[in-house]
Amino acid sequence: MTKVAIAEPSPILRVGLAQLLREFPDVEVVFSTDNLGALNSRINALKPDILILNPLLFEYARRATLRAEFDQLPNMRLVGLVTSYIEAQHQKQFAGIIELNDDPQRIKSTLNQVENTLQSDDDESDTDPLSDREKEVLVCLSKGLKNNEIADTLNISVHTVITHRKNIVRKTGIKSVAALTVYAILNNLIEEKDII
Amino acid sequence: MKMADAINQHHSLLTVLPRLGIPLGFGEKSVEQLCDEHRVSLPLFLLIARVYTEDSYYPSIDELRQCPMADILQYLLLSHRDYLDHKLPHIEHHLHALLEPMDSKYRTLIANFYTQFKSDLGEHFRYEEEVIFPYLRQTLRDGDVANPQRCTFNLQHDDIEDTLNDLTNLLLKYIPSDVSSDERIDMLLDTYALSHDIGKHAMMEDRILLPYIQFLESQSHD
Repeated sequence: MTKVAIAEPSPILRVGLAQLLREFPDVEVVFSTDNLGALNSRINALKPDILILNPLLFEYARRATLRAEFDQLPNMRLVGLVTSYIEAQHQKQFAGIIELNDDPQRIKSTLNQVENTLQSDDDESDTDPLSDREKEVLVCLSKGLKNNEIADTLNISVHTVITHRKNIVRKTGIKSVAALTVYAILNNLIEEKDII
Repeated sequence: MKMADAINQHHSLLTVLPRLGIPLGFGEKSVEQLCDEHRVSLPLFLLIARVYTEDSYYPSIDELRQCPMADILQYLLLSHRDYLDHKLPHIEHHLHALLEPMDSKYRTLIANFYTQFKSDLGEHFRYEEEVIFPYLRQTLRDGDVANPQRCTFNLQHDDIEDTLNDLTNLLLKYIPSDVSSDERIDMLLDTYALSHDIGKHAMMEDRILLPYIQFLESQSHD
């Protein structure tokens, strides 16, 4: 099921599009709004896979950096709902574009294409086992070291430590240090006596 | 709508009934009849049912005002008891049976992880029951807030859901394959059901309780 949110100022378009998307069996419209305030307050909790957004909601100066407005949701794809001319460089930030006269079939295929880019990204990175470096970071974490201590021990930057940690969480699906320690021991990366 | 139809369509609602004091075996009775019979507010039942069945449901303040808040507190309290007294011991029972054939050092390790989770969850519920629920009760009773906290409560539900998710992944992906698979599947089904229920429970607190407290605080300053 693809979770879709809609941000569109026109009630006719917003309600109409939501209605149309409800006909698609694998799409769930989790949220729709006409303003940025409501969008910003809800979107982090709802974590939609796709945000269908009319770029006109943003004032002109912010349109070039739309993608950056949703930094906290790196996996969310942006689809532009284009109701009037927007510049090509602004369009580039969208993974797909829906135009006013698109028929349902075309909207469906746009969303499918965007959805496929979502999945292929996941496949590539998630199925790799932990790299040697990631295992070293994991061992340090299990021993109770903090990011800066891990950076010193392995002679890498704190920023790199954070990247490794993100990859460990993404690959294993495990977030807490306590559970990661269990993982490390189960996989014989560390002995129980080494942990604090 | 017939209660049986509602439950058949959304079987996760099954856990809701005992917390509201509605026993099973209700034959063909409608939701309305049963609520009436067991003195459960119908708007409250519908509110809970919508939270359980619609992920994107945020009730409006008008919807919340139709519900007896004291009953919601009672519902949440009974949910806490249900998790601590039934759901968690049940999962723990599976866990011990599952870990039986494993090397004792792994067994202790995983058992300790579970014990820690249980005690964190108990701690979390205690905070809600000793700080947040009494605050709301007092506000409801006095109709005014003596020292409005301006709702600075942060319930940290993400942490609990993350830990439960971690436990599920350890169980699914990383416990060696030589342990009993029936026991393991039973335990996974129970943890998925618990995750779902706790997720909905967190939604009720985050989308009903806290907004309602904020609403009361704003009223008391008018």
